Amino acid sequence: MLATATNVLRIHPEKCTGCLRCELACSYMQTGTFHPAKSVIRVSPFEGHTSYAPYTCTQCAEGWCMTACPVGAITINAAGAKDVLDDTCVGCKLCTIACPYGTMFYDPDTRKAFKCNLCGGAPACAEACPTAAITYEGTATEDWLGEFARVRSARVLAGVR
Amino acid sequence: MATRHVVIGGGTAGMNAIRTIREEEAARSEITLVSAEKPYSRMVLPYYLDRSIAESHVFTATPRVLADWGVKAHLGRRVTALDAKANACTLDDGTTLEYDDCLIATGSSAVRAPVPGADGRGVHSFWTLDEARAVLAEIAPGSHVVMVGAGFIAFTILNSILALGAKLTIVEMEPRILPRMIDDAGATLVEGWLAKHGVAIRTGARLATIEDAKGRKRLRFAAGGDIVCDVVIMATGIKTNLEWLKGSGVTINRGVIVDDHLRSSVPNVYAAGDIAEGRDLITGEPAVHAIEPTAQEHGRVAGANMAGKDVRYRGSLIINIVEVCHLDVASFGAWDEAKAEAASGVKPDRPAYRKLLWRGDRLTGAIILGPSSDIWTTNDVGMLKGLVQSGVSLARFKAYLKRNPFDIKPAFIASKTTSALLPETILGRPSKAPGNTPVAV
Repeated sequence: MLATATNVLRIHPEKCTGCLRCELACSYMQTGTFHPAKSVIRVSPFEGHTSYAPYTCTQCAEGWCMTACPVGAITINAAGAKDVLDDTCVGCKLCTIACPYGTMFYDPDTRKAFKCNLCGGAPACAEACPTAAITYEGTATEDWLGEFARVRSARVLAGVR
Repeated sequence: MATRHVVIGGGTAGMNAIRTIREEEAARSEITLVSAEKPYSRMVLPYYLDRSIAESHVFTATPRVLADWGVKAHLGRRVTALDAKANACTLDDGTTLEYDDCLIATGSSAVRAPVPGADGRGVHSFWTLDEARAVLAEIAPGSHVVMVGAGFIAFTILNSILALGAKLTIVEMEPRILPRMIDDAGATLVEGWLAKHGVAIRTGARLATIEDAKGRKRLRFAAGGDIVCDVVIMATGIKTNLEWLKGSGVTINRGVIVDDHLRSSVPNVYAAGDIAEGRDLITGEPAVHAIEPTAQEHGRVAGANMAGKDVRYRGSLIINIVEVCHLDVASFGAWDEAKAEAASGVKPDRPAYRKLLWRGDRLTGAIILGPSSDIWTTNDVGMLKGLVQSGVSLARFKAYLKRNPFDIKPAFIASKTTSALLPETILGRPSKAPGNTPVAV
């Protein structure tokens, strides 16, 4: 797949098996450790773990994290992703409350914010996904999970876990 | 379109306005900045205090950057009077600046509890860079620091004081800590957490005097024993810097009243940030939101309109986060509305706490506490902000969330909050990266 500056991570939730390979690959790329708690793509269970879908930063147009940063530590990288400059970030966490998607994270070990930066244009999650539930393609970003999750919330809402 | 802009105040609102004017203008304008201090970020002073960043890191625009942006800067100067009829302002060195439009962004400053000794040696505020330098110079490992006031500002430097190896006591007049950021149940958890981390807290303590005591400081209270310490930090509130606007012709209430374009009662005078009284996104009522994100959004909207664009602002959302000893504490929107329908859940051992406040089917406020090492807490922090900001209907999930206030994520995703949020931008276009401000050629 050819990467362009406008590529996005497209999620095909119906293909996700919940294997968590994306989280392992992501945490390794982002922090050098196989540590799902440090992955910026997060696999969510639906309907009492009968289905799963990965959720990550949409690289939204506003870039709430980027505009909120008081020291200009979040920029747009060559892949078009909002990216944290570690040397500039002070770890104030303002981006974590400014992001309305819940996709800005904070690493207590490094005291820095971190987020999906599309691995600079070669996202490890998409490469690691064995079922092509995550693809990297030139399309507009969308709410990939909303309808999938809406359909798969009926049982939970009815009290069947 | 205006060609001469005067920006009064070099804080977050002013600097965001300047950048946005340069991003949005069709033709190059003159920008003059008047700022009492060199532009820096107050948000990062706690990290200067704990020595994790150098002082140079706090500045948001060096003289070189201002020159690149084509900004004529009067630094170290204050505007003493604004004459809106004459379209001019006067500086404390006698200079008069004429403008086609101007931005009032003079922010707020720290106030100290009105007790004898509050302005004495060894008693500090923590608001400006100069004040941060003074505090840093006095704290040594083993120092006993007393923080007067247990509000947000105090809590932003709590970790830094501990990191410097000092012993910390917090005294608060009200019966509990963080009275304007979280509710009683949340405050109880934080107090317990701090006690576990060796921070002494004395609430309901009315300070009477601060006296010198053989090179140290003695704090006397209306009731209870004295406290003797090395350094006193007064985090007893802030006030809006409005005095210089008397007689300017600009309408003032708690702040400078602004419309949905950040215009004051005088159409070519804008106001932004702590000093502006603009629309609250949740209540729709005028409010002063003295927080960094509001200053940033106000500044950008004002800047775009000053550059000739027509940008309407939906209103600002109160959002606050502070980390105390690896516990994240955050609140959003109308978290303290007494009449709101509320549901909460607590896990005292982690500790973790969620409170959700509703108006009809939409979430209008939230409080969240949880360990900062817990990635699910951070996840929920952002999603709660998104739910409050977007106001999506949570009708299907309301009963579920009231029973399961820790299970935010499925409700966020299945309510298609992402769909509601994706078209939202402050300026009606994608934001530019901070390094991409057009520079003078």
